[in-house]
Amino acid sequence: MKKLTTSTRGLLSEIKDEAAEMPVSERRNFLLKGLQLTAGSAFAMGAAKVMAETPARSNVPAWTKKLGRGVVSVPYGQPSKYEDDVIRRTVSWLTASTESSISMTPIHEMKGIITPSGLVFERYHAGLPDVNPDEHRLIIHGMVDNPITLTMDDLMRYPSESVIHFLECPANGGMEWHGTQMEALQFTHGMLSCCEWTGVKLSTILDEVGISADAKWVLAEGADGATMTRSIPIEKALDDTMIVYAQNGEKLRPEQGYPVRLFNPGWEGNTSIKWLRRLEIGDKPWYQREETSKYTDLMPDGKARKFSFIQETNSVITSPCPERPMLRKGVHELEGIAWSGRGTVKRVDVSLDGGVTWRQAKLKGLVLPKAITRFSLEINWQGEPLLLQSRSIDDSGYVQPTLTQLRDIRGSNSIYHKNSIHTWKLDTDGTVSNVQLG
Amino acid sequence: MFNWDNKNVIKSLLLIGLFGFSQAGLTKDTGYYGYGKSATQEEIAAWDIDVRPDGKGLPVGSGSVSYGEELYEAKCALCHGAFGEGEGRWPKLAGGFDTLTDAKPEKTVGSYWPYASTLWDYIHRAMPFTAPQSLSVDETYALTAYVLYLNDIIDDEDFVLSKDNFTEIEMPNKDGFFVDPRPDVKNPACMENCKDPATIKVTSAIKGITPLQHIAKEEGANDKASSDSEDQQPKSADQVAVDNELKVGSAIYSQSCSICHGSGIAGAPKFGDKMAWAPRIKQGVEQLNKHAIEGYSGKTGIMPAKGGNPSLTDAEVSAAILYMIENSQ
Repeated sequence: MKKLTTSTRGLLSEIKDEAAEMPVSERRNFLLKGLQLTAGSAFAMGAAKVMAETPARSNVPAWTKKLGRGVVSVPYGQPSKYEDDVIRRTVSWLTASTESSISMTPIHEMKGIITPSGLVFERYHAGLPDVNPDEHRLIIHGMVDNPITLTMDDLMRYPSESVIHFLECPANGGMEWHGTQMEALQFTHGMLSCCEWTGVKLSTILDEVGISADAKWVLAEGADGATMTRSIPIEKALDDTMIVYAQNGEKLRPEQGYPVRLFNPGWEGNTSIKWLRRLEIGDKPWYQREETSKYTDLMPDGKARKFSFIQETNSVITSPCPERPMLRKGVHELEGIAWSGRGTVKRVDVSLDGGVTWRQAKLKGLVLPKAITRFSLEINWQGEPLLLQSRSIDDSGYVQPTLTQLRDIRGSNSIYHKNSIHTWKLDTDGTVSNVQLG
Repeated sequence: MFNWDNKNVIKSLLLIGLFGFSQAGLTKDTGYYGYGKSATQEEIAAWDIDVRPDGKGLPVGSGSVSYGEELYEAKCALCHGAFGEGEGRWPKLAGGFDTLTDAKPEKTVGSYWPYASTLWDYIHRAMPFTAPQSLSVDETYALTAYVLYLNDIIDDEDFVLSKDNFTEIEMPNKDGFFVDPRPDVKNPACMENCKDPATIKVTSAIKGITPLQHIAKEEGANDKASSDSEDQQPKSADQVAVDNELKVGSAIYSQSCSICHGSGIAGAPKFGDKMAWAPRIKQGVEQLNKHAIEGYSGKTGIMPAKGGNPSLTDAEVSAAILYMIENSQ
């Protein structure tokens, strides 16, 4: 016999079980109806409906009554087939071809701070090359005493280090300088991932080859069809830049530069050259296409900022969000992520009223420099419309700005580095939409 | 000129002479770890293709505007347009002068790029999009000259651009860049009464252009398991061969053909467009293969030989055609 729990929480969870069998559109209506019922005077009616339609607990599911699959039936494990919605997505009209495009991480579905390797956003400038690690070579030359060629085996002999850092495209959010146009979190903030990266510090290798006292810049070049290049200042190269060959405990995914990539912690993703084949040490920047024509920030006076490397602190609420509407009234853990390319997230504030008043959220889990950091705040939602915002502050003292503050200085045509406070509009029916505040 | 290999050998010999077979001495000379091998001048030269604004890295060679025009029309106009205006979302290369302060700035080679060396370097390393590093040094000089000509930076159509005169080219926007000054904004992080709630204006500009099918779609995950395990009938050898060719074709298609056939630019029959493909399929596969391999100029547009990627084999082109036909009839 089914035991009817009298708590609202239990009832709602049963409504949810039943709703899971319905198509999404019906499910939403049904859940919201259930919500209204439990909240209003018709509680008993709602309970009766649940009793009539919920399967009895004695109805044991099929998977419990048969033998499951054996080991190595899937030699490389995959997510459950019920999670097939948790995938990267792209916006087809954004670029001319998929080989010069970007896909976004489903950050609304992410837990903790690590992005699974298969969900890390992709960015290609001439498609995804299929590099054979046995034939791949990394050459380090230029203003050095001893230019060297390294095989992957050579590279992996150096003492390795592992770090957890975010990777973000500077165009993340860049589609919304002029106004909102993306109706889901995956598209507003999904050019962002965070992984454990393993490799050797670039400074170790520069020490090996012996760089000239006049060395000021390092050119990093990929082995893809774009032989993608960026000039990196020597200060960064000698600080925390890494040459990485592994990600989340296994070799890099092809999409992330297999077999080896550069990694510049906290800097715009395109400087972390993938499929790395060459490092040239020089005394001046090279002014390559991806540091002149692209990845420069045009200001209202017609001049453009160059070498805008740092990803300044940013944050966004991930629950609720357009993909994760509020399904029930009551206590809800409002959750989100914050990150900073300058260092560690020190504090995140949350506003429910569009920035009139702010409350400090709790940072939870691992709080690491230049890594995704989770924040949370419990709220008791009773169906009132809210304007949800989060504001991150990092250990350099920099405070995430409003969009108005950014536009006042940068106008709306700089494409990159839009790290402004984001606003979700929560409506009375629990739906969440992307808005901007004027 | 010195050879690094020799230098190291000599140094090593000296060290052996001084210290005997001292490991410490040897490893110190080639770096503490001493992994890998010294890169030879030939190895470096083969990969060192970068060119700097001061001309460092430019190889000896030259190319004229008129030769550039010829090459441009054959290899570039398909995507970048006959006058550099850009087809569809492919980059616009010319014009856009004095638009950088406009509401919709046009950032082209002429209006935005600070150095001509970037143009030479990028054409040589990455263009054409489907066949990077297929252009010779002289072809690169010629194409660079022609793109500068399209932008009125070179106005003489008899001009020959070379290593010797390259650094004389001055780009209109050479002073248009400055080093990133961030942090540039200061938010005081107010906690209470930060603004008058009555002044908040909520805007939501554009709707309906986000790919949201996954949010609206019905949940059919349960049906999937059964359909995956069905359809397991044995295949004939012919079927297997066709399947393999289709696999090759699919890979070639996405690598080389999808640029035009995916979007239908330059009169290319669009992938999956039955109407556009029907009259072509009627001509027979052999004819289609011939046109695709050798190149073809028809009423609706141009098919460059092998889609502009000479590194493809005939069999690969045929496989790609088979794949497109399979999916467009």
